[in-house]
Amino acid sequence: MKPRKDAAALLDGETYFLNMGPQHPSMHGVLRLLLRLSGERILECEPVIGYAHRAHEKMAENRNYQMFLPNTSRVDYLGGMIYNLAYCQAIEKMLEIEVPERAEYIRVIVSELNRISSHLLWFGTFLLDLGGITPFLYTFDDREEILNILDRVTGSRLTYSYGRFGGVTQDVDQEFLSMSTAFIKRLRTHFSEYHKLVTGNVIFQGRCRGVGVISPDMARTYGVTGPCLRASGIPYDIRKAEPYGIYDRFDFDVATRNEGDNFARYEVRLDEMEQSCRIIEQAIANIPEGPIMPAKPKKRFKIPAGECYFAVESPRGLMGYYIVADGSDIPSRIKLRTPSFSNLSSMVEVLADTMVADTIAILGSIDLILPEVDR
Amino acid sequence: MPTPTPTTIHDLLGNTWLVLLVATAGIMAFLTVNTLFLVWLERKVSARMQNRLGPTEVGPAGLVQTIADMLKLISKQLITPRLADKPIYHLAPWLIFLPILAAVSLFPFSESYVLHDLNVGLILVFAFAGLTILAIFMAGWGSNNKYALLGAMRSVAQNIAYEIPLMLAALAVTMHAQTMSLRGIVEAQADLPYIFVQPLAFVIYFISGLAETNRAPFDIPEAESELIAGFHTEYSGMRFAMFFFAEYSNMFIVCMVATTLFLGGWHGPFGLPGPVWFFLKVYGLILLMMWFRWTFPRLRFDQLMSFAWKILIPLALFNLLLTAFIMKVVA
Amino acid sequence: MKAAARVIRGFLSLLTGMWVTFRRIFKRPVTLTYPHKKPELSAAFRSAISLIRFDESGSHDCVACLQCQNICPSYCIAIEGEKPEGLKKKRATKFDVDYALCSLCGLCIDVCPTVTLEYSKIYDVADYRPDAFVYDLLEPYRDGEADFLVEARKKAEAAALKKAEAAKAAKAAKEAKAAAAAKEEENAAGKTETAKVEG
Repeated sequence: MKPRKDAAALLDGETYFLNMGPQHPSMHGVLRLLLRLSGERILECEPVIGYAHRAHEKMAENRNYQMFLPNTSRVDYLGGMIYNLAYCQAIEKMLEIEVPERAEYIRVIVSELNRISSHLLWFGTFLLDLGGITPFLYTFDDREEILNILDRVTGSRLTYSYGRFGGVTQDVDQEFLSMSTAFIKRLRTHFSEYHKLVTGNVIFQGRCRGVGVISPDMARTYGVTGPCLRASGIPYDIRKAEPYGIYDRFDFDVATRNEGDNFARYEVRLDEMEQSCRIIEQAIANIPEGPIMPAKPKKRFKIPAGECYFAVESPRGLMGYYIVADGSDIPSRIKLRTPSFSNLSSMVEVLADTMVADTIAILGSIDLILPEVDR
Repeated sequence: MPTPTPTTIHDLLGNTWLVLLVATAGIMAFLTVNTLFLVWLERKVSARMQNRLGPTEVGPAGLVQTIADMLKLISKQLITPRLADKPIYHLAPWLIFLPILAAVSLFPFSESYVLHDLNVGLILVFAFAGLTILAIFMAGWGSNNKYALLGAMRSVAQNIAYEIPLMLAALAVTMHAQTMSLRGIVEAQADLPYIFVQPLAFVIYFISGLAETNRAPFDIPEAESELIAGFHTEYSGMRFAMFFFAEYSNMFIVCMVATTLFLGGWHGPFGLPGPVWFFLKVYGLILLMMWFRWTFPRLRFDQLMSFAWKILIPLALFNLLLTAFIMKVVA
Repeated sequence: MKAAARVIRGFLSLLTGMWVTFRRIFKRPVTLTYPHKKPELSAAFRSAISLIRFDESGSHDCVACLQCQNICPSYCIAIEGEKPEGLKKKRATKFDVDYALCSLCGLCIDVCPTVTLEYSKIYDVADYRPDAFVYDLLEPYRDGEADFLVEARKKAEAAALKKAEAAKAAKAAKEAKAAAAAKEEENAAGKTETAKVEG
């Protein structure tokens, strides 16, 4: 980093620089925040990213379309299934491949399970940042059940390469559907426990109410999406606004709050988990029999020259694949629009007038995944 | 019936130097065993509350785990930051735990034996506890590390703020017992422990005690997720072990004072010997502290300070005035 | 008064939280005590790939088509193969997978034309050297390779013989059919001649 030109003027004895460096015991990953503080108050905040850059988009230029599949799960490892399936759907859109009904339903069920597991992990780590270590263990117990269910189907627990162009690799059996139903029942009883332990707790509310407010205008300026946007009052959910797959067949609400503070984001995510449970139940009730891949699956994927943008709702917000094809079987460019990048950029303004002690809480409530920011 | 004058260690041993040696050795041994036990207890209690097992491998039910950890800490390299303020940096771990030895020697855990009995015992305990605040600041400043300094400053402010309601609550008890000697206060609770007479004072005392020992929900100074490790960031190996030791011993002292002031010390409803009751009560309060730690998130620093100055101190003063009023007018 | 009510409500919320953690003390811990109890792996569990041993042939069926090597995104498969004498298809002579690079995507299994790859179930491998994870998938098959080749050649010869006989039979049938057709023509021609003569 180049030294600042105004550094000399700033070293006036009143303010000081604190580096919340890439090595930090809080749960955000390798993010570096350069803070200029006056006492406990932050005057300026500069996020420095790039510590987790792994050149996914460059890798996409050297591999053919199928070979990029494992990369997609690893961009955001907590929403790995959703990213994987979104990529498959983007390619299917470009090649106009018809996906069988059963595969579509399976995709919805595993995507929503993935969303619930991501939110559960967020819940645990948010509380861990605030100092309440116990809910982390409770949510991981619930999450373990989801990971077991998905392990039975796909064989992996975190980075699934489950989707293929046209469908999914393995079929699900009745055991999977009954395990999912049982899990949702169990999760709903645990929600009341989480509300008792956390939501009503006066210390938690004191740390979260009124803290880290993102106004709707700020959200629009920085391109904030996902639960952060919906907590600021704008009910934009891509599953409702521009439905992909078969999401238009399901009946669910878009969780919205108006205050835009940590507590609103927290409540939005808890509501989203409940809505995901509803979607899974409807999908399990209506899943048809049938094949999971098209009758004549293609072997070679040469995409004619053209561009495609495909967006899905990941647990963190709007996730988009922008694929530029040039007629061969290697993409010319794949650009990943990741929600955490835009959400993090709003922090420059939000953190500019808060206290150092709130920094960790606000960053925790935004639900960042640094590898997604850096790709 | 007035309790007979207790035997002090001086009566038993005679020679002052011998007394000093035996007392120090005895207290050190006791505090060491206490810390080892409390660390194990904390890990087991936290594990059970979190649906997991805690230490199980080393020793039966993991009892030897803490000894293994201590051996590991002792064997680590003592790294000193190059630009640290050496005298202050090196003195801080000693200063944080030596006053505790003196404080422990004053405690009445049995009706017939005591190490030392002063008629201003209560004040002396608080005075020694105050020395640890100095040590914390020395640790933070001497480390030459912004995080440590931030943590130390927060800790000092927190400790000073919470000492006031602590002492005001203890003062209310003193008004009842009419003495500041710790033995005297326990003897005055022969009929009824003061927790029933002064419930508000107990709550204030316990909360302030939590804050004094930097335990959750008041553990901002050593919050891992915010400031790495607060004032003891730059200490490694045995020096870190001293801070650890001091924290658990401090917890023990706060609970001992609470037992002495509010729960009746060595008195008990039925036949067990005095020391057994004493330690049962102390460890019961320690379990309560652990329960708090693993349930609640932590308070932000300014909320912590405003809680002390705007809520606890007025409450403690109100309690004191009420006590005085009732004692003078009613009794 | 409102402030007092807020304080009391706050205090009660703390007690509710404490009740939740207290109740959890009595639930069974969910820990799997790992070295003493091993986890149950699901049937679909993905680990390093291995070659399937087919029952009919008693060996694998890798024909060194290199499709898995070409599609692997992590470039961890290295195959060499040659066509043995007397057999139609190639046979792999070297099949190394560097498991340290493998991303468990399953593309190699999907693309294999003879369906000879599957996931294995190893999970507790650890080593100090990075090249300790280059697995030679042909190792269990090397001893039986000679026998397999002998059997395969026999089968190939038998198949070739059968095919030759079938071809001969087909040819003979074709010739017989042609002869019969020619005779029919002759008869027909003879009849017309006779008819012509008679007419």
